[in-house]
Amino acid sequence: MGGVWHRETISWLIAAAAFPAACAAIGTFGPVALWHMLLALGVAIVWQLIFLWARAQPVSPIALVTAISIGVLAPGDFSPWQIILAVSFGAVIGEQIFGGWGRNIINAAVASLAFLYFAFPQTLVAGGGHLLALSVIPGALLLVATGIVSWQIVVSAILGVALASFALGQDPTIIAAQGSMVFGLVFLVCDPVTSSATRPGRWVYGLLAGGLLALFGWTDTGFDGPQAVVFATLVASLFAPLVDAAAISVASRFRRSRNG
Amino acid sequence: MRIVVRRGLSIRLAGEPEQSIDHHANVAKVGSRGQDLGPVRAEVLVEAGALVAAGAPLFRDRTRPDIVFVSPVSGTVERIEIGPRRRLSEIIIATDGSANIAKFDSSSIRTRDGMRALLLAAGQWPALRSRPFERIADPDVTPSAIFITAIDTAPHAPDPLPIIEARRDDFRRGVEAMTQLVGGPVYLCQPDVAPLVQETGRLKTVRFAGLHPAGLVGTHIARLHRPSESEPVWHIGYQDVIAIGHLLETGTIDPFRIVAIAGPGMRRPRLVRVPLGADLHALTRPDLAPGPKAIVSGSVLSGTEGRFLARYHLQATVIERKPRPSRHWLIEALDKAQMPAPFIPTQALENALGTDAPVVPLLRALSIGDAEAAQRFGCFHLAEDDLALARYVTGGQTDFGKHLRAVLDSFEERA
Repeated sequence: MGGVWHRETISWLIAAAAFPAACAAIGTFGPVALWHMLLALGVAIVWQLIFLWARAQPVSPIALVTAISIGVLAPGDFSPWQIILAVSFGAVIGEQIFGGWGRNIINAAVASLAFLYFAFPQTLVAGGGHLLALSVIPGALLLVATGIVSWQIVVSAILGVALASFALGQDPTIIAAQGSMVFGLVFLVCDPVTSSATRPGRWVYGLLAGGLLALFGWTDTGFDGPQAVVFATLVASLFAPLVDAAAISVASRFRRSRNG
Repeated sequence: MRIVVRRGLSIRLAGEPEQSIDHHANVAKVGSRGQDLGPVRAEVLVEAGALVAAGAPLFRDRTRPDIVFVSPVSGTVERIEIGPRRRLSEIIIATDGSANIAKFDSSSIRTRDGMRALLLAAGQWPALRSRPFERIADPDVTPSAIFITAIDTAPHAPDPLPIIEARRDDFRRGVEAMTQLVGGPVYLCQPDVAPLVQETGRLKTVRFAGLHPAGLVGTHIARLHRPSESEPVWHIGYQDVIAIGHLLETGTIDPFRIVAIAGPGMRRPRLVRVPLGADLHALTRPDLAPGPKAIVSGSVLSGTEGRFLARYHLQATVIERKPRPSRHWLIEALDKAQMPAPFIPTQALENALGTDAPVVPLLRALSIGDAEAAQRFGCFHLAEDDLALARYVTGGQTDFGKHLRAVLDSFEERA
């Protein structure tokens, strides 16, 4: 007997939530997005099967979400071997060696994309516009309503973007029109596994991710490409366990002082 | 005091029991499984084939010989089975239907020692369990608090209020007996209605509102009085309190419990009055819906499959036994070889624990067996029951209760 929140149910739901965004990305960027998705999906599945064989790790449809993320956030002139290399790095180092999705500390798509941007910086990557931004909304609502994505992270990340933008004297609404940023915010920053897991920790994590996104975007990479959100997620998710540990120790100290 | 548990989940399951009590259930056999009592090394006091009266001692704990387990019915001992390490594995008694019942001397209950001696002799002591570690309470220890659980939020559990109302005097006497056993507070945890018993000095009534696990003792203990290894808390169920009240008044044990037999596999889900350890297979057989069924002692969340009603359960759930789908041998082999999939944090999982512990870090620590971290996040007030909902919510693949038991065992051995 069991309830429904099994790992595979959740990954199917996230994949379903990402589907409209995948269609919008194919509409915006053309067949290159679809081609990258299929290639990334194939590579991710191969690595899942290898780890199923070697380490008895169950396979997961989360490969679909990884593939969609790469298709949406890497629509550039990459050659196939570059994508294969990047996704192999992301799937193995980001996910499989930790024991598969659910035990990882960074998102596989984030690791793949960071690898792509760093290793092949000369390739220009386009960012999505209004259509992509709008297509993310229904999926985001589905994920928040089902409790897979915590609303605390969504709210605090938006707050973090706004605060950091105001601090830099910029207009945060420009970011909201960037489809890549909105997609990354929902599917990368709010990944339930790699984000913080305590309630106070989630607020800090969201503020950190949002703040870094605005900082990277306004001062370094700009918002024409998707780099800002990927790097912000990478840094924020590496800090997530530390944020949790701090939140827990503050909470237990508070409880001890209250109970004498 | 009133406490609203904001976390919690409603579990939908067909076969809600009718809340009227069937007094004519016929129980031919009762049994007791050692695994329901914790790690009790048993010294058996009867032989197979012996005639026993209701209330006659059957076996006792080797390490704490004061703790005696008595027969709930009058009848013949049919089978005694001892497992490895002298643990009782099963004892079965066939009832003879006679009113042969042992009488106990209840004259010296004014003192704590007298009360303790009576409860031990009459086999009512094992109703008291102690946390941390969720073991039968040690009679030589004075707990820092006692929790009386008069609320049950598990799916298809019997409603405690009419049961207590029908035996108001026995319940009140039992509650008073609990205040005698402890120097500290006695918490009567009840549903969100007028206090069941008048509050006096150390007796505090606490009303709990909310969804399951608002009715679990682990939730109550976390909110009111956390235990430590040196300062344990005890807890007891409301029907055991009624039975103790009955014992104090009459000098005879009350082995009967009002038990819900419900679930989607029952044609007539209802409450029945049966002795402890009733044979669930015989009890449910006339009313089973067609098809293969699993008969679970306890709720659908935390119950265990078995023939007899476990000592601390007040319900049995009959669910469909799903036939295994026939699949290709390669897929089957891969599926069997797989490790269980890790759990993914969701809002539903957050709501599965009634404490304010950080749910996800605690469950992660438990599933990798990190005892120190689990202790830091707060696991000493928990038992298997408290994690059953988390297991259910995540699809039942990871038994967090088993992991918790392993962590608690490691602390218990160190002590």
